Amino acid sequence: MKKDWLEPINSYVKVEIRGEGIAELINACLAQNISIWNIKRTNENAVSACLYTKNIKGFRPLLKQTGCKIRFLEKNGLPFWAARMWRRNGLILGLAGFLVILFLLSNMVWNIKVTGANPKTEYQLLNAAKELGIKKGKFIFLLPNVRQLQQQLTNAMDNVTWIGVSLNGTTYNFQVVEKEIPERKKALSPRHLVAKKDAVIYDMFVEKGQPVVAPHQFVYKGSLLVSGYIGKEGKTKLVPAKGVVWGETWYTTNVTIPLETKFQTYTGSSIIQHKLNLFGLRIPIWGWKDGEYKSKEVSENETPLKFWKWTLPMSYIKKEIRETDGVKRVYTKAEAMDAGKAMARKEVRKLLAHDAKIREEKILHQSVSNGKVNLSMHYQVIENIASEQPILIQQGD
Amino acid sequence: MAKWRQQVTKWLVEKLDLPADAMMDLPRITMIGQLHIYIENHRGVIAFSKEELKLRLKQGNLVIKGQEFVIKTILPEEILLEGSIEGVYYDKAT
Repeated sequence: MKKDWLEPINSYVKVEIRGEGIAELINACLAQNISIWNIKRTNENAVSACLYTKNIKGFRPLLKQTGCKIRFLEKNGLPFWAARMWRRNGLILGLAGFLVILFLLSNMVWNIKVTGANPKTEYQLLNAAKELGIKKGKFIFLLPNVRQLQQQLTNAMDNVTWIGVSLNGTTYNFQVVEKEIPERKKALSPRHLVAKKDAVIYDMFVEKGQPVVAPHQFVYKGSLLVSGYIGKEGKTKLVPAKGVVWGETWYTTNVTIPLETKFQTYTGSSIIQHKLNLFGLRIPIWGWKDGEYKSKEVSENETPLKFWKWTLPMSYIKKEIRETDGVKRVYTKAEAMDAGKAMARKEVRKLLAHDAKIREEKILHQSVSNGKVNLSMHYQVIENIASEQPILIQQGD
Repeated sequence: MAKWRQQVTKWLVEKLDLPADAMMDLPRITMIGQLHIYIENHRGVIAFSKEELKLRLKQGNLVIKGQEFVIKTILPEEILLEGSIEGVYYDKAT
């Protein structure tokens, strides 16, 4: 009885047995332990029966003994079925190959479009994109995602303000906003130089125009420094005033430095896991180790896979696990003060032009509260305070 | 000698309530309606046709009559026959 279950797995044949000694043959089969089943009388001297293919060799001599003859009617079972299928292998392989190719092609970069850029910028952008791996024929799921691309490209290109990256099917669209660098006006119109802010004049160098202030003089914001009117009274001439007026100005900055700071730094060891997300089920493809890091940072990049124009319920996930190291920095009060001063200086520097000089710094106020050092710093700065103010000439005056 | 032994076995079966099929090599026949007949302890096939199956037993023969017979499975000591069974007869002739 148990043999019935194995029928589809083992290959078996249906045969027609013809002859007088059929009963003897069956008995002989039993004696030889050859399984035979579904014995059915088809006509007066013939029966049909099923036999395992592996037993046919042992079956032949029994046929001779009993004077029966066999004819094969059907071949069944997995091996025969597989063989029949294999006869159509070209079709099946072709179909599978077609699906595989269609799938691969659906996930490839086919086109790169750039809009809003002049030819030079476009060329630079395409080169920068090529360095990031965006080329025709690359697999989309192996590239960084659109947001990262946008950030990296915008950083790589210095003559554009913004690059919008979007992925439309198999086409990457780059939308470029170029920086418009205004051309310098060569022709100078008549103008005065006025003070940018409250200051004490330190030094001045006037190329053109009539200086109206002297060193050590205090000026308010907006007061006239160099006049555009030159010449004696009555014969005045308008010129564009030009010069540098160094003034001493004052800045106050407040900084707060915590005495204890915790940092997260990468130790450099990381693990990359590749996964396939199938209907929300994550199947690891490569990388099974978890790293067993004490502290770690995990970043994931998920790319949906496409087939033709449909997005499959599958996506490719690249998971990166980086080991981090917690570093605790503790300042003494003096160290915190130094750090605070450096920070304050940096902050002031940000506000100043390149040619400005910090002449003196003073601590106005300092306090320690809640584990933080609060510093209030005062700076004396020498900077160019001249700003241009055009002289409006009223027509018909 | 054989006869005497048979007598003893028969006596044992009757007095000690031992299973007769095991002790005396008798066929055990299970039928499921008219559809199936399952015979254990047979000694080979004598004849098989659509309407009749003749089996050898240790003593005598077993004849099964009916329609559309198919031997579903046949093993050295068991046989499963399918069809519409009309009768089971014992045949003393060897």
